[in-house]
Amino acid sequence: MPQLIKVTRPTKIELIKLRRRLSLATRIQKLVKDRVSILVMEFLQIAEQTVQVKRSMLEDFASMYRSLSVSAGYHGYIALEKELIASEGGLDIAAGLRNIGGVKIPAFELKKTGKALRGYSLTDTSSWLDRTAELSEKCLEAIVELAELQRSMAQLGTEINRTKRIVNALEHLIIPGLQSTIKYLNMKFEERDREEKSRLKRVKVLLERK
Amino acid sequence: MNGKISYERVLRDYLTGELKALNAHLPARQKTLADLFKEEYPQVLCNDGSVHLFKRRELEYIDGLLDGDERSRLLLPILIQISPDRSEVEAFCPGMVEAKVIQKVIGMPLEVKSGRITLYRRQLAVLRRHLKTTTQYVFAPPV
Repeated sequence: MPQLIKVTRPTKIELIKLRRRLSLATRIQKLVKDRVSILVMEFLQIAEQTVQVKRSMLEDFASMYRSLSVSAGYHGYIALEKELIASEGGLDIAAGLRNIGGVKIPAFELKKTGKALRGYSLTDTSSWLDRTAELSEKCLEAIVELAELQRSMAQLGTEINRTKRIVNALEHLIIPGLQSTIKYLNMKFEERDREEKSRLKRVKVLLERK
Repeated sequence: MNGKISYERVLRDYLTGELKALNAHLPARQKTLADLFKEEYPQVLCNDGSVHLFKRRELEYIDGLLDGDERSRLLLPILIQISPDRSEVEAFCPGMVEAKVIQKVIGMPLEVKSGRITLYRRQLAVLRRHLKTTTQYVFAPPV
């Protein structure tokens, strides 16, 4: 049973105010409900995508390590290390924000270097090392994508929780409270009307008797 | 009011604040796909002063769907309006290029009525899966 809102005086002005409050609360509820539905849709999509990206990343990592161990066996550790030191370089990640229903979530994108050569000697190395480098670049892209997805998921989840609390408060407390107070006031006014009618009847009878 | 804040004012302020927060990220000015390709980091300035970043991968995907000079007519981000009490949403298509992109992404012909396309939630999910940074939500005030 929703609680009644305390009305200082049961007057028509109070009733009008309460009706206005109810209409405002209903408008807010509609807006917040829409927001929750959009956020949930986005959250589910991101969750699905996270699973896909994580699965493919693990597969890529497995094949990358396999390829790396083959190339280590083929070239030897010392020669391989010498080649890999030459290919070390920095990463360029474009980081920004995007907004989904009032939630700011990160957007990362690994910038492609566009270099044809990776830094190691092509004459001293085999295609196994090329394959390893290619797969490790793919893994790096997946890591960046996964970072964005996981952070987005956490932020959307927090916002969904917060918004759902507002929806619940409106749906189960504020709006029913306002409705029952309006009902209570209407009943009070009807009761007042009935009292007034019976009072007038009584007065009429008294006057007739005189 | 004896220093007290009225209940209605709190509700009204909340509604206004919520609408402002929901629509704060709208672009101050949309840019064409051709213009975005010229930028090193494709982005638009939003009404709240923040910057909305586009993913180059998405721009390239859209470019693949267009022909000829259409890339200089497509305005990004594409705006999608969410209206209360309606299960469908509306995508704004001022030029017909936006409509073409949406139709190709969803994979079915859609009717354009007075510069808008009506989309069902399922279609919206498909559209958003492909065009995450190149579409944006607009929340219409509830009546």
